[in-house]
Amino acid sequence: MADTLKINGAEHTVEVDGAMPLLWYLRDILHYTGTKFGCGMGLCGACTIHLDGQPTRSCLIPVSAALGREVTTIEGLSPDGTHPLQLAWIEHRVPQCGYCQAGQIMSAAGLLAGNPSPSDAEIDAAMQGNLCRCGTYTRIKQAIRSVADDAEGAA
Amino acid sequence: MKPSTSRPGPVLLGRRDFLKTSGVAAGGLAIGVSLPLVAGARSDADASGANTEVNAFVHIAENGDTTLYCGRCEMGQGIATALTAAVADELEADWDRVTVLQGDADEKYGPQGTGGSRSINIMFTPMRQAGAAARAMLVAAAAERWGIPAADCVAENHRVTNRQNSRTLGYGELAAAAAGQAVPDDPALKTPDQFRYIGKPLPRVDMGEVVVGARTYGADTRLPGMKFGAVRHVPVMGGRIVSFDATEARQMPGVIDVVRIDPIDDRYSSLGAIGVVADSTWHARQALDKVQVDFEPGPHGDYDSAAYKAELARNVEAPAEPVHRRGNLAAAFESAATRHGATYLGGHLSHSPMEPMASAVWVREDGCEVWASTQDPAGIQRTLGTFLGIDPKAVTVHVMMAGGAFGRKFKCDYVHEAAALSRATGAPVNLTWSREEDTRTGFYHSLSAQRIEASLDEAGNVTGWLHRAAFPPIASTFNPSVERPSEGDLRALVDHPYGIVNLEVESGHAPAHTRIGWYRAVYAIFYGFAINVFTDELAEQAGEDPLEFHRRIYRNNTNSEQKELVERSLGVLELAAEKGGWGKDLPEGHGLGIAVHHSFESYTAMVVHVELDGDKVKVHRVDCAVDCGLVLNPDQATAQMEGAVIMGMSLALYTEVTFREGAVVNGNFHDYPILRTQEAPREIHVHFTNTGARPTGLGEPGVPSLAPALVNAIRAAGGPRHRSLPIKPMKV
Ligand code: FES
Ligand code: FES
Repeated sequence: MADTLKINGAEHTVEVDGAMPLLWYLRDILHYTGTKFGCGMGLCGACTIHLDGQPTRSCLIPVSAALGREVTTIEGLSPDGTHPLQLAWIEHRVPQCGYCQAGQIMSAAGLLAGNPSPSDAEIDAAMQGNLCRCGTYTRIKQAIRSVADDAEGAA
Repeated sequence: MKPSTSRPGPVLLGRRDFLKTSGVAAGGLAIGVSLPLVAGARSDADASGANTEVNAFVHIAENGDTTLYCGRCEMGQGIATALTAAVADELEADWDRVTVLQGDADEKYGPQGTGGSRSINIMFTPMRQAGAAARAMLVAAAAERWGIPAADCVAENHRVTNRQNSRTLGYGELAAAAAGQAVPDDPALKTPDQFRYIGKPLPRVDMGEVVVGARTYGADTRLPGMKFGAVRHVPVMGGRIVSFDATEARQMPGVIDVVRIDPIDDRYSSLGAIGVVADSTWHARQALDKVQVDFEPGPHGDYDSAAYKAELARNVEAPAEPVHRRGNLAAAFESAATRHGATYLGGHLSHSPMEPMASAVWVREDGCEVWASTQDPAGIQRTLGTFLGIDPKAVTVHVMMAGGAFGRKFKCDYVHEAAALSRATGAPVNLTWSREEDTRTGFYHSLSAQRIEASLDEAGNVTGWLHRAAFPPIASTFNPSVERPSEGDLRALVDHPYGIVNLEVESGHAPAHTRIGWYRAVYAIFYGFAINVFTDELAEQAGEDPLEFHRRIYRNNTNSEQKELVERSLGVLELAAEKGGWGKDLPEGHGLGIAVHHSFESYTAMVVHVELDGDKVKVHRVDCAVDCGLVLNPDQATAQMEGAVIMGMSLALYTEVTFREGAVVNGNFHDYPILRTQEAPREIHVHFTNTGARPTGLGEPGVPSLAPALVNAIRAAGGPRHRSLPIKPMKV
């Protein structure tokens, strides 16, 4: 079985205990600190990354389950921070403390990748696992909406 | 020239002084500013002398780059942006050429505790003066260069223009010469119509970093050779570790050490904990699970918060210690046309920022270095000075972005623990608490019981008011002999916003059984709740529209000292009512509720629109009206209010920390559920009265108005009258 995984396009050979959650492998071993710890139980979404393109809670996934697969973190969502959602987040001035926002953006990016023009209910459903204690929900929804509407306009 | 001043106001910093205070070797112009002492500062940082030291500065380099060095902690409320706007505006700087640097803990930055929504109130004018002084000196330097009167020079957007011939010089070209000019004593400040940044919706200076994951928080510090920690605390305040067995834990992969952390004689000491140091947080936590610990619960081992709340609810029915009396309440009650009484309850709250308590500490022989998400870096210096037995000045604190704080990150018990783990291992240690430890080891918002009794005359005017409040006060955390709220704690009731003529305020006995701390908006949460819900009940009793009732109550306040309070309260009340469509026709099961409150020198009113569906509460829309004086950055102010609505909804609906057998039962977001996106109102509208008064903060004052407006709306929609928060407590 492969003992490597790809993170933001770069191959990494895993030399740790395969039971270690991907979150801690990213944060403590590789120092990809953009992915945050909030709960460790899949309850808050702060640790959301993409595993083969699917939004996934990295606190629940052991490294061993990511072997041979592609991981994308917030650092790798776009080469230069210009993913439409990243731009929309700035335009709508979403972040307060910002701690939850990597997870929020990764969840939203996963939603739009599969469903470029979701309904409000679909946005709620995709984002309900991402908590924000600063209370930026209204702006998050506006930012996602704006990107979705642009996509619709372009289609 | 020494970088100190015997008078307030801007001063020039020489190159050497600037280097010494900023660590930056640079020429150009550096203007220091001393910030006034904070009266009643929440931070008990030793602030003595801070008002005679330069504690923030603006630097214009010879290439024109402009930097603001500032010691406030950035917690997401955009303080750095607001202060940059204040300086840049007066300086006539180009916004894109200005950067802001966060100061490390140092006396030179003045009292650094960030809280009480005070940063803006205190720092706004001195920052503007610093900018204005620098501008005047740049203009003077240009005038000298051209040999023309200063009046013929105009500073605009990082350049000075010669009015006689339209030639210009950039700030960078003038910076060195400006440093040779006299610092004006009282530089002229702009009038509001001249502002280009203040009051404009500027983006926060750090948003670009946030969206690519590059903004580093306390939990994100990574150093060569860094190790990672995990802790399990003594679960009960005043308890202790009797013994522990770490044999198995020490065999676990990656484990470096298992450390017993004992409390120290410091107000922000750890409660006591077992800590593990390992090569990753995960290994540390795995090993911690294997440590067998024998705790002794101590004197609070019986604490049961539900039983305690019930006990306080009973106690507030009976007379307590009088704190304030005026007029003749007995006579007012005697001659009342209507009398009404009600009891309001609230539970403990945990701040639960999305980033749990986190810091990195490196204890070395020559001192100690800290990277912490903190609201009080000077407090860390003091606590670690005590713990390590060293001069607090030997503790360098790097203030990291906090992933939310809400008052909790004033208390540096988590930094004490990281220091203990670093000292034991000699390595830099990053300690990030688990969510469970974060929930269970807080400095909690007080549980509270309040009894209000009031009398109305025939016309429905309030003639008498008794307010009895029982809650363990914050002071108990520092002095356990404090067993009831003080007169100061009850000040908001004594200074009753309705100017009640016949008033009695009583303090109920309420010893603390856990650590009590500041939680965003503090006591204003339950005062605002009780006063506003009770007022709604009085309106109901009088058969009157709640808005009308509120209006009359405020207009009837004839206390001449409360004129401003009445005007500003009515201002936000009217604005919220108008924007929220008060009085409009609503479908069955819908209702509007209103509340108004002032705290931390700002005024907020909210109209909440709810729909009831069985016991489901849907909030459709919230209209917030705000009077925080001159609005420095409308976008950031709006964001603060949006956040206050969401936190207000969490505490109104769900959040409560429950104790059983001395320990917190809740652990994570399944049993301490904060509001999720699908429950958030789709529309939150924030409106400013723009009174132009002195700017006051907004981090906290929005929180108290939400819960009562929501509860009043539920009643208006045909639901029950809720008097206890949260209204949908989790069964834990
Ligand atoms: S840390 Fe993974 S969901 Fe919260
Ligand atoms: S922005 Fe602070 S937790 Fe979401």
